[in-house]
Amino acid sequence: MKAFLPNESLIPWLKDLSSSLEVIAPVDVEGEAVYQTWKGQPPALVGNTLSSPIEVLMPRTEVLFRYVQDSGRYTFDEPKVPTRIVVGMKPCDLKAVAILDRIFGSEPTDHPYLAKRRSTLLVSLNCTDPGPWCFCAIMDSGPDAQEGFDLALTDIGSGYLAEAGSAAGVLLIKGCSSGLFLEADGSHEASRDILLENARSVMAEKYGDRSVGHLRRAIRSADWEYLGRQCLRCGGCSFICPVCHCFSIADLGVPDGERVRCRDTCLLSGFSRMTNGANPLGSIGERMRNWYLDKFEHLPERTGLIGCVGCGRCDEICLAQIDRWRLEVLDERSRQQRQQHK
Amino acid sequence: MKKILTTCVYCGCGCGLYLHVDEGKVIGASPSRKSAASRGKLCIKGWLSGDFVNHPDRLSYPMIQRGERQIRASWDEALSLVASGLKGMGPSAVGVLTSAKGTNEENYLFSKLARAGFKTNNVDHVARLCHAPTVAGLSYAFGSGATTNPISSLEEADAILVVGSNTTEQHPLVASYVLKARSKGAKLIVADPRRTQIASLADIHISPRPGTDVAWINSLLNSIIKEGLADRDFITKRTMGFEAVKESVLSYAPEIVEAICGVPAEVLREAALAYGSADKASIIYAMGITQHTTGTDNVQALANLALATGNLGRPGTGLYPLRGHQNVQGACDMGALPDLYPGYQKVVDANARAKFEKGWSTKLPKGPGLTAVEMIQSAETGKIKGLLIIGENPMVSYPDRSSVQRALEKLEFLAVCDIFPTETSKLADVVLPAASFAEKEGTFTSTERRIQRIRKAVDPPGESRSEWEVAAELLRRLGVPGDYSSPAEVMEEISSMAPNYGGVTYRRLGAASLQWPCPSRDHPGTGIMYIEKFPIGLARFRPVDHMEPVEGPDGEYPLLLTTGRSMYHFHTGTMTRRSPLLDREVPSPFVEVNSEDASRAGLRNGQKALVETRRGQLQLEVKVSPGVPKGILFMPFHFSEAPANLLTGASLDPSSKIPELKISAARLRKVSP
Amino acid sequence: MSDHDSNGSNISKRNNSYSGCSKYSGQSSQGSYLPLQAEIVDIDVESPNTYLISLALPSGVDFSYKPGQFVMVSVFGLGECPISITSTPTRGSLQLCIRLAGRITNGITDSRIGDVLGIRGPCGNGFPLDRMKKDILIAGGGSGFATLRSLINYIVDRRDSFGKVAVAYGARTRQDLYFMQEYKGWQQAGIDVSVTVDIGDEGWKGNVGMVPALIDKFNLPAGSAAICGPSVMINAVASKLMARDFDHSDIYVSMERHMKCGVGKCEHCCIGPYHACQDGPVFTYDMVKEVL
Repeated sequence: MKAFLPNESLIPWLKDLSSSLEVIAPVDVEGEAVYQTWKGQPPALVGNTLSSPIEVLMPRTEVLFRYVQDSGRYTFDEPKVPTRIVVGMKPCDLKAVAILDRIFGSEPTDHPYLAKRRSTLLVSLNCTDPGPWCFCAIMDSGPDAQEGFDLALTDIGSGYLAEAGSAAGVLLIKGCSSGLFLEADGSHEASRDILLENARSVMAEKYGDRSVGHLRRAIRSADWEYLGRQCLRCGGCSFICPVCHCFSIADLGVPDGERVRCRDTCLLSGFSRMTNGANPLGSIGERMRNWYLDKFEHLPERTGLIGCVGCGRCDEICLAQIDRWRLEVLDERSRQQRQQHK
Repeated sequence: MKKILTTCVYCGCGCGLYLHVDEGKVIGASPSRKSAASRGKLCIKGWLSGDFVNHPDRLSYPMIQRGERQIRASWDEALSLVASGLKGMGPSAVGVLTSAKGTNEENYLFSKLARAGFKTNNVDHVARLCHAPTVAGLSYAFGSGATTNPISSLEEADAILVVGSNTTEQHPLVASYVLKARSKGAKLIVADPRRTQIASLADIHISPRPGTDVAWINSLLNSIIKEGLADRDFITKRTMGFEAVKESVLSYAPEIVEAICGVPAEVLREAALAYGSADKASIIYAMGITQHTTGTDNVQALANLALATGNLGRPGTGLYPLRGHQNVQGACDMGALPDLYPGYQKVVDANARAKFEKGWSTKLPKGPGLTAVEMIQSAETGKIKGLLIIGENPMVSYPDRSSVQRALEKLEFLAVCDIFPTETSKLADVVLPAASFAEKEGTFTSTERRIQRIRKAVDPPGESRSEWEVAAELLRRLGVPGDYSSPAEVMEEISSMAPNYGGVTYRRLGAASLQWPCPSRDHPGTGIMYIEKFPIGLARFRPVDHMEPVEGPDGEYPLLLTTGRSMYHFHTGTMTRRSPLLDREVPSPFVEVNSEDASRAGLRNGQKALVETRRGQLQLEVKVSPGVPKGILFMPFHFSEAPANLLTGASLDPSSKIPELKISAARLRKVSP
Repeated sequence: MSDHDSNGSNISKRNNSYSGCSKYSGQSSQGSYLPLQAEIVDIDVESPNTYLISLALPSGVDFSYKPGQFVMVSVFGLGECPISITSTPTRGSLQLCIRLAGRITNGITDSRIGDVLGIRGPCGNGFPLDRMKKDILIAGGGSGFATLRSLINYIVDRRDSFGKVAVAYGARTRQDLYFMQEYKGWQQAGIDVSVTVDIGDEGWKGNVGMVPALIDKFNLPAGSAAICGPSVMINAVASKLMARDFDHSDIYVSMERHMKCGVGKCEHCCIGPYHACQDGPVFTYDMVKEVL
């Protein structure tokens, strides 16, 4: 089902949704668009946010359960799962959801993830204005969402072309106050196609030299010891990546408290270090290589999907400014120094 | 689910970040693209800066000592005790240690509390242990003791000299700009006894014997003058006293200095050429320079170098004393110092005192007070009888722990205000629970003089309160006028009293930031200082000479122990050791040893060793590291179970009173399993 | 899961199908992270730093396991860590062999009889008894022997299903040897048991040296092998076995890795594309030799 949502109906529609659901949308907070609970302010549906809305499904920290001790025995209390609708999720992040579904959905399934996944509706926004770091088109995860959305929006200037991807998506259109959505016509779809084609060609022009094959070769040939020496070990590439999902589990509180899980990063040596002190990924270079192997070799083997969605966030936040696609430090001088080192 | 823009609580870089809040709890942090300092990047501690906020160990109600125990008390009871307990001691027997982790507003109010409330100038904070020599040294040389240029200005440098700063680990954001400059072709010179990550990335690594910094810095100046690389024009027009320095560095030829520092003359010459011939050269330094009995001289030596080459007042030049705490700059700015009022106005200056007496509507004490380490030492002798310690843990962070403990135990009255129980709070008569950075409003001033907002993301736990409220309440109880309803109001008072903050208001700060000096409401703030002139008119050279450290290695203690930090922990670990990932990364104390020294002691990597100095001994794990030169032991001081400061001494730099934390004679033994 | 489903409003109720790969099998309830509460019914000391803890699970809980599997053990307030099961499913209680190594293991051993520990599992694949040959060599080094005891006692209890069986085991010193009182019973069951220590002393009359040297003593046909211990030992034993015509796919290695979730999600225990907690901890030698 397709429909057209004029610009002036966007906020009324969100209001409508927020009467029964917690609406999570990008809004301006002190000058920058971030995803949070929508409270009536104009949504900032432009560009991609630095933090992915994937956090709705995979928060940086979440409580697995609360344990309460009573005369030596414990009772457990699992947190309630809020019912949410994410509005504005970009196709790259949506693709990440597809990958996470396969990871957390495979047996034995991960209950906390699936519980949130099942109570979250996804309204995606196709990418007509890719950011400077975006290359989703190259990774086949954008600029338009192919699947996994309940409703897909495309900003065509005068409003949004809305396309339902599930029964719930149809209800999002049909179930709201009448008059908000108008009938979509051929011209709406034609504008969408032009805008998306344009986005696609912008990315192709800028990042046309990138390919999975290219990166796999780079992983094999990269000087990981050298790259490890450059890395400032911030772990940002893991925390920011919508596909990265590794986590740690910790207890907070004695005798009562919470068992929490928090997003982790395999760039830390403690991630793989064992209690006897041995570490299968002993150097930062090896750990960086493992980060890439996981995305481009192991995840495809396990899930059938490449573990990179082309959002470019790891490029943007890399404190050491490592060229994360060429696996080099960009400048000529470093390369010369490296030759001398050898 | 919401996100709150705020400023990082760890080092002095001043990175902007969003705290992620769900169900009223901080669940994470992520970078802010718009942050003037960090521009969408964070280091590992920044990414994990929200971790400790929810920790169940947080103090959540006031406590008072009853017999052997600390029992729960009401705020009213606790505050009355603090006000009367300290007031009763008399001005000369009371001291206040404020916190570089607190906001500007809080430091201002505690500075006011000490002076106007307790009528004492005995107020100081942790800067005494980090950049007191910077404040002393650079104030003398330039007229202001802060970083001269914005961090981002480093990108434009042609040469960068990093001295005694483990920049990649301790100020990763600054390091990212250094690496950016380097990738554009800037020469990178790193001076550090250890081969740190940034040293391994440098074009030239100077590895001097600890305690010989004046010598090798003078030798650089010696070569620069000899090679005709001094900036005659700048020296003539902007400085005074060059001739005396020129004269004094004559005796520091590289060959002579090689014998003092153990750095090959060729390396010194090469470094001099790299720094001296650059059009724009910057100097970054940190505790490796300051935590010495010659700290102030070390700073002056660097200032001489920058002045002689005209590397001030332009993009890509300047001096960057890197501040370790997120608001240690602000705490200095707010006059949390025994000799300076807010805005660096001198306590001994009668006009300044009159101004503050008028502004605060009360009489103020004359003459500078005691410094932090002196207060602890005076407590041991019984001169100081009561201390109020805000967010600081001297039991772990101050030198010579045993004597700190004796001093604190001897106090008649100790009040501690903190977010977690600490080794220090356990000794307190009154413990006040404080709100963390995520639970209050205020401003921090970063190492580049950038004043930035912090914002309340969640409610403080239990009954804990913001320290500004605690200070305001104590002021009220001591009868000092001032009724503050918000930190914004405190900032209004600050801007009226401290000229460099004259134009700072919360309205202007908004999502943006201001770099001081910002003297008036229409002033845009100051990125690069000293473009036209120095606050003292002409900058001052001062000749400095090499002096051997107080406690060198000898037959009995043949090794040299130096202390520092790990990348994954902060200060005494009260916050980072409560972050699951940071704690996991470096879970236990260790001593880094060169492989030769280790094998001489019969030690292998991972084994337990006994490290001894004249002050005490510690058992801890050995990390055999090629990065540590022969004869040197390195130990981080974060760990209360093996406090490095049990081993350090409290020899003080005569002018800045900083203790020599970087040098202790030590020996190493294997512990039989 | 049903209670979570009921949280959804009308429009969020739908039948999601997750196209996860079907490679994994296991109890789906494991993914809830809620542990069972097992009561400590007995504590024994195996070596100066190793305790043998016997647990009773709540009645009515189906907890069937295989030799080689492990459980995630929690001490509430300290956290959770993987511990291999050292008892055999052919006998009554669930036993764990706990070596003091960190905060959590210290917490476990601080517990008393009657206290409860959290248990999730059993996790991992265990030894593939259906695929293993009848003749089995078992080689263990150090604390890695704990998981092999499960297999040995399983074989003892099902002796008729197995052929020639030999055990080679080494520890640092005599005091560090586990399960000494059981060796005689194993020998009586016709198992060739050979033990060595790295460092001998006056009270020790047995072998001094490395585990691989013990292999030479056995007259064993090329069958299957089960190995657990340090990498160096595994490689040395494996190469000796392959020289004796053991197929590398018949050599099973139990791997140790940092683990958090035990259900193949958290990525701490990755060995190439495998998760030690789900695809392992038992791997054939050819699957893991590159990381040993």
